[in-house]
Amino acid sequence: MALLIAVALFLAQAINFGLLLQERRQARLDQATGPAVTRIVDADERIAAGKKIGGGGSWSRTRVLAASPIPPGAERLDDIERALRVALTDAGVKANRIETQVLPISPNDPRLRYVSQSRIERLLRAGAELVVAVERPDGQWIVLNIGWTRNDSTILWRLFAQTAILYGVVLVPLLWAGRRISRPLRRLATAARDFHPSTATEPIVESGPQDVRDVIVAFNALRLRVTAMLEEKDRMLGAIGHDLRTPLAALRVRIESVEDDTDRAKMADTIAEMNRTLDDILSLARLGRPSEPPTEVDLAALVDAVVEDFRDLGHSVGFEEADRLQVRLRPSPMRRALRNLIENALKYGKSAEVTLTATPREVVIAVCDRGPGIPADRLGDVFEAFTRLETSRNKETGGIGLGLALARAIVREAGGDIALENRDGGGLIARITLARH
Amino acid sequence: MLNTDTMGDTPHLLLVDDERSIREPLAQFLTRQGFRVTQAGDAEGARARMTAYAIDLVILDIMMPGEDGLSLTRHIRESGEIPVILLTARTEETDRIVGLEMGADDYVVKPFSPRELAARVKVILRRAAAGGVRQHAPESGSFAFAGWVLKSGERTLVDRDGVSVPLSTGEYNLLHALVTRPRQVLTRDQLLDLTQGREAAAFDRAIDNQVSRLRRKIEADPKAPDLIKTVWGGGYTLAAEVTRL
Repeated sequence: MALLIAVALFLAQAINFGLLLQERRQARLDQATGPAVTRIVDADERIAAGKKIGGGGSWSRTRVLAASPIPPGAERLDDIERALRVALTDAGVKANRIETQVLPISPNDPRLRYVSQSRIERLLRAGAELVVAVERPDGQWIVLNIGWTRNDSTILWRLFAQTAILYGVVLVPLLWAGRRISRPLRRLATAARDFHPSTATEPIVESGPQDVRDVIVAFNALRLRVTAMLEEKDRMLGAIGHDLRTPLAALRVRIESVEDDTDRAKMADTIAEMNRTLDDILSLARLGRPSEPPTEVDLAALVDAVVEDFRDLGHSVGFEEADRLQVRLRPSPMRRALRNLIENALKYGKSAEVTLTATPREVVIAVCDRGPGIPADRLGDVFEAFTRLETSRNKETGGIGLGLALARAIVREAGGDIALENRDGGGLIARITLARH
Repeated sequence: MLNTDTMGDTPHLLLVDDERSIREPLAQFLTRQGFRVTQAGDAEGARARMTAYAIDLVILDIMMPGEDGLSLTRHIRESGEIPVILLTARTEETDRIVGLEMGADDYVVKPFSPRELAARVKVILRRAAAGGVRQHAPESGSFAFAGWVLKSGERTLVDRDGVSVPLSTGEYNLLHALVTRPRQVLTRDQLLDLTQGREAAAFDRAIDNQVSRLRRKIEADPKAPDLIKTVWGGGYTLAAEVTRL
């Protein structure tokens, strides 16, 4: 960005200089030829009238010589010669040959003795003199000297110097202004990316130009609205939970009067299942706003504890006690995620096998069953909480309820993921992968 | 003889819940289970009945309009030793923990099995009768012993490096029973009694098995345990100083 501006500025400068150079050349040409022509015409007229040539200081004296003082092979200025010829022809002076030569001026030049100080300075600054020799038709040469600005080797330096100044004047404030805009924008982007309703963060400080400030104000307001909406959602869900649990509790009490034990047990199971679903809904909805911070946890003990709870309830869940495996996470949701996976395995496979493997980079908890598995094309769908509900009529192919969706949401919240895979020889493997820090 | 104040030996329960749809069938059920049940629809009614009758145990809903169950629990605890079982509608642990901190003896989460509630009522009444005073130490808070900290709210054990070691329900209940009664010898029957009830878990689980699992987690050498010691012919004891945090 800054580089682009720098290149553009340099280019503009170069074009400007090109034009300037052109113009200067023209001006120098005019400046050189104008007085020279006047003096040649004047000398020519004097010669025609038989008058004496001369006058003026020794420096600028017009001389009449029999031969050109310019040695053949000297550096000649064709454009000057052409311009002189045109001007002389216009003035009605006939000229045979026109020759020019640029000579350096030395400060010790004896001719400078009679020249005023300011003129010397001007001549020395120009650095050279131009000798013009014009051959009259009679073979005599009118010769004169004029000041000549030396070739433009300094002009390149001036180009660089000017560009540097331009950079200083334009590029620096431009970059500063750019930073002033981009810094708050970058902060805003970071804040938007890291925005998590559960973590109460300070609003972003309003800074930068007005437009950027407006965006920040809008973002801060949006954040407050989102947080308020989520809080409202939590309150609503709490109310829903309470309102549904109370009638469920009433029902649970009332079924005790059912005489038939089998019937009563089935009713109790149904109520328990409804209650679990209700729990899942509440947990899923509350997941974005966790109440416990992540801590260092022995994951092997966590898996073992969850498995042990299932065994206590008489389920067949296999797990080899493993060595301590320290991971940073929120233990309660992770227990729940694992519980849901094991519950699912038990529901479809009657028994489950849990393994815990660790590599230096990640930890994998695999829950395997020997149930019917899931058709390959539906492996991804089973995580979707609501498509699940729609297709849950088709229980054989994986009507699983919210359990898996909740498990995945928990694991993702912890920075990991869950993948499902059909097992060789039948059954399903659910793999929780967690990164180690 | 559970309580000599009551008429006969029928324990007198006070059931406080604003939800009639729960209260009335529950009262009927508990009556069928052999309790005498008095009902109240709010805290005010509960206070009135507690002065009118000699109540043996209060079953109390936490979420009630007006004065809530937690505040009533505090009142009951300040005025005497009547055991309290809380009915909670929330899955969140906070209410429960606050309730237990205020001196409630136990809780059940709605929807609960009335049979399980009745079982817990019997356990608590038996304990009250056996000890004369309430034996139940408040369950909340943290207990430090031998470099470990047992956090009751999160049901986790934390080692000296701050790493959580999650416990199963059975392990947690057993360890909790031990840390709240350090240096006491607890028989298998006592431990079963103390560890049952929180959740349906561990009812039929051999205490010995739980003890050996716990030893694997907390003992430096599980084969030569220093913390959970076997008492010959008796049961188990926690041989460590316990500090409540």
